[in-house]
Order: sequence, then C-alpha cells, then structure tokens
Amino acid sequence: MTKLDPETRIPDPIELDAIEEARLRAAAGLAPIRSSTPEYAGFDQVGIPDRPPQTEREREVYSLEEGEMLINMGPQHPSTHGVMRLVVKVRGEIVVDIDPVLGYLHRGIEKLCENATYTTVLTYVDPMDYLATMHNEHAPAIAFEKLYGIRPPKRAEYIRALVVELERVSSHGLMMGFLALDMGGLTPILYAFINRDEIVDMQSAISGQRMLFNFFRVGGVNFDTNDEFLSRLGTWRGHVLKNIEMNERMITDNEIFRARTINMGTLSGADAISLGVTGPNLRASGVPFDVRKAHPYSIYHELEFDVITQQSGDSYARYLQRIAEIKQSIHLIDQIMDKMPHGPVQAQVPGIIRPKPGRAYAAIESPRGLYSVYSISDGGPNPYRFRMRDPSFISLQAMPKLMPGRLVADTMAIMASLDPVMGGVDK
Amino acid sequence: MGRRRALSTPALAGSLVRLLTERFGSDLRDLGTDEDTVEFTIDGARNIEVLTALRDDPDLDFFMLADEAAVDYGLDAHFEVVYHLFSWKHPAWLRVRARVDRSDPRIETITHLWEGASFHEREMYDMMGIVFTGNRDLRRIYMSPDYRSFPQRRDFVLPDDAADSPAAGVNPLERPETWDLSRFGDGSR
Amino acid sequence: MDFELLLGLGRFVLATTLLLLLTVPTAFVVIQMEMKIIAQMNLRFGPNRIGPKGIFQSTIHGFKVLAKEDTVPDQADRSTFTLAPWMVFMAAAMSMLVIPFAPGAIAADFNIGIVYFFAVLGLSVVGLLVAGWASYNKYSLLGGLRSAAQMVSYEIPLTLSIVGAVVLAGTLSFSELIAWQLDHGWLLMWQPIGLGIFYVSSLAEVNRTPFDMVEADSELVAGPFTEYSGMRFGFFFFAEYVALFIMSAILVSLFFGGWLAPWPFPAQLGGFAGTLYGIFWFFLKTYIFVFIAVWLRATLPRVRVDQLMGMAWKVLLPLALVNLFITAIAVVVFDL
Repeated sequence: MTKLDPETRIPDPIELDAIEEARLRAAAGLAPIRSSTPEYAGFDQVGIPDRPPQTEREREVYSLEEGEMLINMGPQHPSTHGVMRLVVKVRGEIVVDIDPVLGYLHRGIEKLCENATYTTVLTYVDPMDYLATMHNEHAPAIAFEKLYGIRPPKRAEYIRALVVELERVSSHGLMMGFLALDMGGLTPILYAFINRDEIVDMQSAISGQRMLFNFFRVGGVNFDTNDEFLSRLGTWRGHVLKNIEMNERMITDNEIFRARTINMGTLSGADAISLGVTGPNLRASGVPFDVRKAHPYSIYHELEFDVITQQSGDSYARYLQRIAEIKQSIHLIDQIMDKMPHGPVQAQVPGIIRPKPGRAYAAIESPRGLYSVYSISDGGPNPYRFRMRDPSFISLQAMPKLMPGRLVADTMAIMASLDPVMGGVDK
Repeated sequence: MGRRRALSTPALAGSLVRLLTERFGSDLRDLGTDEDTVEFTIDGARNIEVLTALRDDPDLDFFMLADEAAVDYGLDAHFEVVYHLFSWKHPAWLRVRARVDRSDPRIETITHLWEGASFHEREMYDMMGIVFTGNRDLRRIYMSPDYRSFPQRRDFVLPDDAADSPAAGVNPLERPETWDLSRFGDGSR
Repeated sequence: MDFELLLGLGRFVLATTLLLLLTVPTAFVVIQMEMKIIAQMNLRFGPNRIGPKGIFQSTIHGFKVLAKEDTVPDQADRSTFTLAPWMVFMAAAMSMLVIPFAPGAIAADFNIGIVYFFAVLGLSVVGLLVAGWASYNKYSLLGGLRSAAQMVSYEIPLTLSIVGAVVLAGTLSFSELIAWQLDHGWLLMWQPIGLGIFYVSSLAEVNRTPFDMVEADSELVAGPFTEYSGMRFGFFFFAEYVALFIMSAILVSLFFGGWLAPWPFPAQLGGFAGTLYGIFWFFLKTYIFVFIAVWLRATLPRVRVDQLMGMAWKVLLPLALVNLFITAIAVVVFDL
C-alpha cells in the first residue's frame, strides 16, 4: 500500500479553480477573496456556497430566481432525524427544489470493516441503522457464512428471525411516532417508545446490550434464549396489539393527520423502482417486493405470510403499510415461537475465519428496505472489500422528486414518512 | 466448493445461464454461479448496452437495481463496478461486474436506466474516484467538497492524502489563522 | 376634582402594577400545567424534582431564562430586535386591563372594553412580525410572515363571532355583558355557533396547537423566536402563555358568565366576599379552558399553513356572518 504518485492521479473532473486559487493566494500570503460577503449579498443570497457550482444539478439548485431563497434545514434542525442538511429552495412557503447534503455522520464503516476480522465486522456495522441494529448484523452474517461455506444451526436461524422481527416491530412503531411528531403531535412518539422499551428490554435480556447488540456470529448467534427473555416476550405479546391500537387511535383517523398525509408525497410504483426506493415505501406504492418473499433468506421460506401492499403510494399509505407490517411481524413472531426447534445455536467455526477467495452477496429486508452486503474475500482474515447498501440512503433520493410544489411544512412530514435513519445514510 | 452446502434458496440458475449465453454470447466472461447468484464480467465500455438489454428484455426482466458498488483490485490491477440486479423471473441475484481501467477510471452512468443509481455513483466517485460520465450530479456526497483524495482506494494512506487537501487535513474552522473576521463586523454595534 | 383625578390615577397605577405582577405567576402556572399535564397524558412522570411533585419547575425555568446570556445576532437590526419582545409582552399585559375578574375587580371598566381588548391583543402580531424581520434569519422571517397572515386572518372571524353576543346584550362593556348574562342566562345558550367560532379562532390567535404555525418547532425551529435567548425569549414565552390565559378568561367572560357561579344563589353576594367568590369562579372556569387547550396540544398534530388559512376564510368567516345575520334577525323579530 504505497501512496499514489501525484502525476498518476486521475484528472479531477470537477472545476477546482476556485479552490486552487484560494490555495495559491494563501501560499502567497494574500487575503482570501470572497465572491460575496453576507453584508452586501442580500438576505436571499445567504446560504449559497462561495465557490463555483461543481455540477449541472448543483447549479440548478443554487441559482436563485427572483423571489426565491434557500433555507438550510439542518444539520441542527429539530426534526431532520439525525444530522443531515436539506437545502430547500423556497418561493415564499412553496418548495421549489431540495438538495439533501449528507456526510455529517460519515464514519467510514466500510473502510473500517476492511481492516477488521470477519467476526469483528459484525460489531462495526451495529451503529449504522441504529433503529434496526439486528438487521445490520444479519446481512453481513449471511454473507460471511456464504463466503465461509457454513450454515448456522436451525435454532440459531429461528432466534435470528425472532430478534429481527422484534426489531421490525419496534422500528415501525417508532416511525408512527416520528411521523406524528414531525407534524406537531407530541404523544404518539412516547406511546411508541413504551413498545420499543419493552422490546429493548427483551433484546437486552437475550444479548446483554440495549442498542448495539453484537448478537450475531458467523455461523450462529451469541446466546440461546433464556427465561427472562421468554417471560418478557410472553408479557409483551399479551398486550402489544393493544399498545399499537392505542397509538393508532391517536393517529389513524385523526382529521388533521389525514389532511396532511393523504395525497401528500405520492410516489408511483414505477418511480419508486427507478429511484431504488425499497421496503415499506415501495410496497406502499403497490409493488409487492419483499426480500423475505422475493428471495427468501434465513428461515422465511418456512413461515407463512403474504406481502402486504397499499395502492396509493402517498404518506398515508406508507403509514398504513407500517402498521400492517407491525401486525404481520407479530404474526411471524408467533409462528417462529411455535416452530422453534431445539439444538445448538452456534456452528463450529474457528476464532479467526479465513474464507476461500470469493464473493458473496446477501440481501435482507430491513425495516427501511433492501439492506445488502457485498463482501469479497482474498483468503485473508479480513474482507478485501465490504460494501453495504443502506435502504434509507437510497430512499432519500426520492425527496427532490416528491417535494417541488409542496409547502415547507410538508418537507418534514414527507421525509418522516420515508423514515430514513441518518446512521445508515451516512454509514 | 469444499465445505459449502447449498443455502436455503437453491439456485435454479440453469435457465438464466442459458438465456444469458444466448443473448450475449461471447461478451460474457467468467460466467459463474453461486448459491443464489449468477455473475459475469463485462467490459466497462459495454455496461449500458448490457444493462439495457437485461432490463428491457422480457425474458430477463431485471427491473430492479439492487446495488451498485465499486471494488478496487489494487494498484497494478483495475477497478470494478458491480451491479446487482433483481428479476421476478429468475430466483437468483444477477451480478454484473464491469471492469474499469485504473489509469483512466471512466464509465457511463446508468442514471437514465435507474435514477436511483445517482447516489450510488456519487458515493463511488467520492470514495473511489470513478468518474461516471453523463451523471449530472457527480459531486462528493460524504466528504466535503474541497476534499481531494479518494478514501476507499487501496492506496489511500490517511495522513498523506489528508494533508494533500487544501485545508491540510484540518477543518478550516479549527485553524484560527485562516479566519476572515472582517466579515463579522467590528463588534461595536 | 383634583383629588378624584389623583385617586383615579392612583387606582390605575395600582391596578396596572398588580396586573403586571399577575402575569408572572399566571405564566408560571400555565407553563407548569403544560409540562405536567402533557407529561401525564404521554404516560410520563413530568417534572418531579423541584418542590413537592415538581411544582416549582416552571419557576426555576423562569429564573434560568433570566440567568441566560442575552445574545443579539450580528446581522440583526438591534433596535427593533430589542423592541419586539417588549411589544408582544405589552400587548398581552395591556389586554389584561379589561379582564373582569370579579365585581369591582376590573382594572379599567371601559364602556368599549371588548373593542379595546381586540384592538390591543391584535398588537402582538406587530411584535412577532418585527421579531421575524429583525432577526436576520430565514426561519424567523417565515415564522413572522406566517404569524402576520394567521393572526390577521383569524382576527376577523374572532371579532365577528362575538358581534352576535354584543348585539344580543346591547353593550360593549364586559361588566355589563356579565350583568346581562346574570339576567338572561349564559351566552353559551344564546350563541353556540359564536362560541364555536370564537374558540377555534382564539386558539389560532394565541398560536396554540393545532394552530401553532408560528412556532412550528418541527418545521421552523422556533419561528420568530429562533434567534432570541435569555429574558428576551422569556418575554415571548411569557406572553404566549399569558395570552392563553387571557383568551380563556375572555372566553369565560363572553360565553360562560364570567365571575358568575353556575347557580344563581350566592351570586348576589355583595362587597368583598362577593369579589372573592367571583374571583374563585372566574379562575376556576378560566383554568378549565386552559386545561382544555393543553389537552388539545397533547392530542392533536398541527395543521398546515394553507389549511389553516383556508379554514379561516372558507369556513369560519361565512359561518360567523351567518351567525351574526341570524342573531340580528332574531333580535329584531323577537324584540330581545
């Protein structure tokens, strides 16, 4: 690993003249030039970067016509679901264009994983999509098992499916709350957290952690179920539907909520496929694509369930889709508990895994959509390349498509209905 | 395949392999199957042609781009842009590996086939420095706009490459000597 | 003559001082209610550390706000930026002048009290607009413009909704209105449509959920208040909660018989005892409506700004006009 010679560096396609010039001026001891200082630029010019636009699209977003201005929503905005920045071009209250600016939470997990052994990779992926941590571990675990050519015992697969479906219930439940919160409803989010807290307690009982579980292993899971987990699961199962319904009563038929979500942010099925939107958002647009059915992994081919879809593809359909999937997941949990076999939960694997050179692709259905891992082994103890496709990263591209013509108030409501998680977006 | 046993989804890949060889013939290299993946390699220059055919051919019907990723095979080798596709008609993921020359890493964008490829391509440009010609929004997505190196290349060495960026690897806000305080007024108001 | 003038002046100064002082505990109580009741409705504990059951939490918040650094953005227009919180707070405090707490406990019993009230409360929109403009912040600007649009629009149905009551009672003075209600029964029975319109519009007028467009914390961060800190923000905050109290008080005076007890018997109580008795009923009824506003905040999401304006102009305004029309005809026909 030597540093590339500057001469062989590829010519940068971007016009970096301004940056070059700034560097030269700094080297010569001159003060930097600013194309516009805030005092003289005028109020509507605030927020335009003081460098030439790098691409066609950037020029489009950052050039203002009469009566337009840019608003930076984020990175410290109360409801951007983490640290992201939406550059919103508005004309009065009407959104003209929107440009998501990412990277505030970028930790370079892919690069980190290339320097970690296969077992420790599973700890690095945890904080990606922090509302679906178990799912984050699931796909790499499957990919590494494919690379190593090993299959976890049946009971391990069932425990995996169980914790993953529990996580789906908690994540979808939170989406209900966040959607209402971004419209100003204070209560549903706290009702959702009651449900999530119980699930987190369960996960803590089985894995020893409350958020970053590190529960999956190559070839199995870390622990078998224990009494505390099972008793908590039983109690939770007794009243979870009542909890969900309590929250639903706050939201579903609320006149204001309906007025703000029906026909808002409508995404057609064809557009959703083209934009790479997956998961509940895609199914809400009427496309019955669910990795659990389309390409069954783990033990999903042994479970009975149908792919739920909605027709309209608007924010309300995305919300209804989440509720339907919560109920479906609870149904799946019942089936898993019925069918759970006995046996070991961990296959025999060495401490340091050295798979044969090869490639493996594993995709799972995370609460936000298709989450996949593409891993390449060169025979060494750590992956040569470890690539993660995060569904919320891709779903964000729908924002510039959905927003034009809507109001500023809808920005957050529509974004919340897409349910992105910034930890996953920024990797 | 040694210890490897078939996974839960046995690849019924025979028909797909036959279809692919029929359609593309000698274009395909390294056609191979995994437990649930069929893969082949193409030339980077032919990616649009092949992907359009895969998407639009009614027998193949790979309507969904599941993933688009870049792999760096090292200094003396090449880049690879890897497309993963999904079709209802075939119970296997299709992996198309397009080779890109390392000295001039350019490849056609596929944003006109799948709009959603845009963020993937921005990420690949940001991390690997692969230029997707025709992508109208090819700018940095994770790193800051003035960053000059490509962190996921195999030859990336952190201190050196960061020092090569205009701010010498330091956030400008952390370097008081670069602050232009005049724009904040003299504070007398 | 001179003595009477002096007495009147002295009485006025005393009354205004008392009212200004009253705003502080009122704001504390309403904020405390907001925190604690919403917490209970959210199945949380709410503040429970400061004082028994946490009852001094909002007081501590008040002192905390006093202790905060008071910042002014560099680009802001300093003079108007400083003036805005004062304008909003004074609008709320001045409108308290005509609130009829009890017989004999009105700071200024104008014969045009109702007109005065709406005129003065409407001034707060100027303060919000100025705050939004002076902050040199786009969120503030949008919030200020929203507040102007919203409050000006809702003032029209708000004012029209009580014209029916005024026509019925034939007076613009609060105390006479309450006296009328003592004879004829609460206006609630006479003006149910007017009451509905007034309640919805008053929520919008004081920026309460579901009409809290101005603040809209999930869209506009904090609207016109975004750049404020310290006691300047505290003034806005106080004014908002005092305005909620005032609106509930006016609602009670106009439609729920003000200081009157629900049953007639001891309402004839004279003197100081009568005043105390009136104050008791007045505050009880007022805080019931404050409670309902808090309850609404815990329950409802926020409407969108275009839906809000549509409601004012398409629903409430025609309804208020119809109400006024019917009332006027009834007054003429039945010679009320």
